[in-house]
Amino acid sequence: MKTYLAKRFLLMIPTLLGITLLTYALVRLAPGDPVEAMIRAQAGDINPKVFANEADAIRERLGLKNYNLWGKDPQKIDALEKVVNVFYGYGRWMSHVLRGDFGESMKYKTSDGSKSPPALFWERAGITIPLNLVAQVAIFVIAIPVGLAAARRRGGFFDRFSTIVLLGLYSVPSILAGTLFIGFLGRGGLGLEWFPVAGLHSSAAEGLGRLAYLKDLLWHVALPIACMVYGGLAYLAKLGRASLLENLRADYVRTARAKGLSEGRVVYHHAFRNSLLPMITTMVMTLPGLIGGSVIVETIFSIHGMGLLMVGAAQARDLSVIVFGTLVYGAITLLALVVGDVLYAWADPRIRYE
Amino acid sequence: MSDVETTGGVGASRTYGAIVWGQLRKRPSAMVSLGVIVLLALVAILAPFIAGEVPIRWVENGRVSWPIFRYLSNGEYAAMLGFALALLLPLTVRLLRRRAHRAGTGGWRWVFLAHLAIWLVVLTSLVAWREPERRYGFYLERAAEAESAWFPLVAYPQNPGYRELEFKEQPPSWEHLLGTGRLGDDVLLRILYGARTAMTIGFVAVGIGTAIGVVLGAMSGYFGGRTDLVLMRITEIFICIPGLILIIIALTVISAAWLPPLWTVVIVIGLTGWMWAYRLMRAELLRIRSEDYMTAARALGIPTWRLLLRHAVPNGMAPILVGATFGVAGAVFLEASLAFLGLVQTPSWGEMLNDGRQHLEYWWVWASAGGAIFLTVFVYNLLGEAIRDAIDPRLKI
Repeated sequence: MKTYLAKRFLLMIPTLLGITLLTYALVRLAPGDPVEAMIRAQAGDINPKVFANEADAIRERLGLKNYNLWGKDPQKIDALEKVVNVFYGYGRWMSHVLRGDFGESMKYKTSDGSKSPPALFWERAGITIPLNLVAQVAIFVIAIPVGLAAARRRGGFFDRFSTIVLLGLYSVPSILAGTLFIGFLGRGGLGLEWFPVAGLHSSAAEGLGRLAYLKDLLWHVALPIACMVYGGLAYLAKLGRASLLENLRADYVRTARAKGLSEGRVVYHHAFRNSLLPMITTMVMTLPGLIGGSVIVETIFSIHGMGLLMVGAAQARDLSVIVFGTLVYGAITLLALVVGDVLYAWADPRIRYE
Repeated sequence: MSDVETTGGVGASRTYGAIVWGQLRKRPSAMVSLGVIVLLALVAILAPFIAGEVPIRWVENGRVSWPIFRYLSNGEYAAMLGFALALLLPLTVRLLRRRAHRAGTGGWRWVFLAHLAIWLVVLTSLVAWREPERRYGFYLERAAEAESAWFPLVAYPQNPGYRELEFKEQPPSWEHLLGTGRLGDDVLLRILYGARTAMTIGFVAVGIGTAIGVVLGAMSGYFGGRTDLVLMRITEIFICIPGLILIIIALTVISAAWLPPLWTVVIVIGLTGWMWAYRLMRAELLRIRSEDYMTAARALGIPTWRLLLRHAVPNGMAPILVGATFGVAGAVFLEASLAFLGLVQTPSWGEMLNDGRQHLEYWWVWASAGGAIFLTVFVYNLLGEAIRDAIDPRLKI
């Protein structure tokens, strides 16, 4: 096991290098100039000479500068030079990272004015991670009983009904669900105005007591969480159903029944326990994907979380934020895969990794 | 599908594909969803006949003409012919089967290749010699001068710059079956052209992704060793970059002026969505490569490429078929989300939904767009489930 884990962790290194190099190169090689776009957006039209100097200084600072390598015409940089520059810039980025410096963002700032990507992500993680955890727990709590009930009466009314309803829910795009939630339950102007539709707090939230503050927060996140939950239900409930069915057919369940245990004890104590583990493993493995994939929900409900940060950075081609984001996301995904595999082996001693 | 034929036995000449098809036919959900998919494809392909500004039949000064056939683009003709040939394929095979059987050749492959050849020849000659007409607003303005004109169901200008502001934000009526949008645009017309985008994304993008995944997965699973190690790392790299971010960055790199926005999206979704096929094909080949028939084929001295192409890959295609069906649903979802976020500029249901979100009181806009996305995604998921159950209910996809 130890050798296996060591091998897995060693194999992560080339993957992480590949992830960062690929994103770095794609962002650097894309046509157009993000620095110019940023300066124009901030200052409008300015004197071209001032502009050129300023742009060069910013590029130098952000590590975006394309150096003139074979020194013929300083204004022109050919394609090969660009590629060499990408590798040079990547090497420089790496050397900074090894000293703990992840560069600075072009576009974003934290509330206390820091521009470093780790600080930005740390601030946003405080919003995205709790939101996703609550959504995951809700999915688990709803999906397991549904899967259980469907599996106990296989082919019965509830089984067929829940399968088709869950598949239907799974097929509702979150862009439609979010729109409908806002329209009918939120202040979208169509029906009930039960829930707020943007942000995480009321404007007067600062002055509230702790309990009232929590209530305010829950009131705000109810719709976004509902939006994240409904689609994930189908997958997990289906998995739970299949897993329980497989266990109910197993020999040990027949033995348990044969020795006269009550049906409830057979199902809940023996079969259900064994079918829970693959579900947990799957949850661990899919968690990173969900965090990255909550962009739509964050956009619809104007929640400034990690997903929105990444998409905004990708659109503005904010190099350091994108590369740091993919690095963190990649590391978490790889870790989750290893944890999932280890859990699998721990739950089922028949599986061995060499 | 796989063309592993067991010809010669007494009444046992049922191919694997035929067995799966027989299973599928017993499931009403599969048949209904397949019907809806064919209908959607038909609607997408025949969109100009249902909504548009060019009349189908036109009589002026006693002269009869059929203008729409001059207006249809080469791509539209190619799509129509391709669709017709695909529908004809099972029929032709059935007709030719007896003769082919007697001659001792497998039916499917040659018929398929012949159809492909016909399609390619027609497509090339169209591109080479035909120039479609493009005069927007010509017939609609002169409708009063014609003795008789058969317009499509929704006779409405489709020139992108053209809007009739006096007709804006009207609820569904007989003139505008699904109402009109914020700028006087007909909702049905946009739904029809959105169906084209969704179908193209669904089939072409998933086709590209599946092809990449199958090739890499087959190599990885069959050769193993160092090839497998390297390909696995590459796949991990693609899995570990958040999908949406990769797509946004790739869109900025690939968005060239010479490529229409729709094809940019298709290529990007294809290039970033092949990992599922890689994993499935790799797992299948790990199993298949130690099967007896592979050992036998190897012992016969069959070259490796032929071994892979004729024996290994066709036998591993079953899970890929299921995955691709779910993949189409996913791609339609993804394209709608991208358009909803304003990241791509294609006529799309997602874009309509975003329009409708701004003015929820005009419910017909978001209800049509949302309903169209839901229906498409739902039927593909339903079909995927049915095929999975028909092939092997224990398949974990």
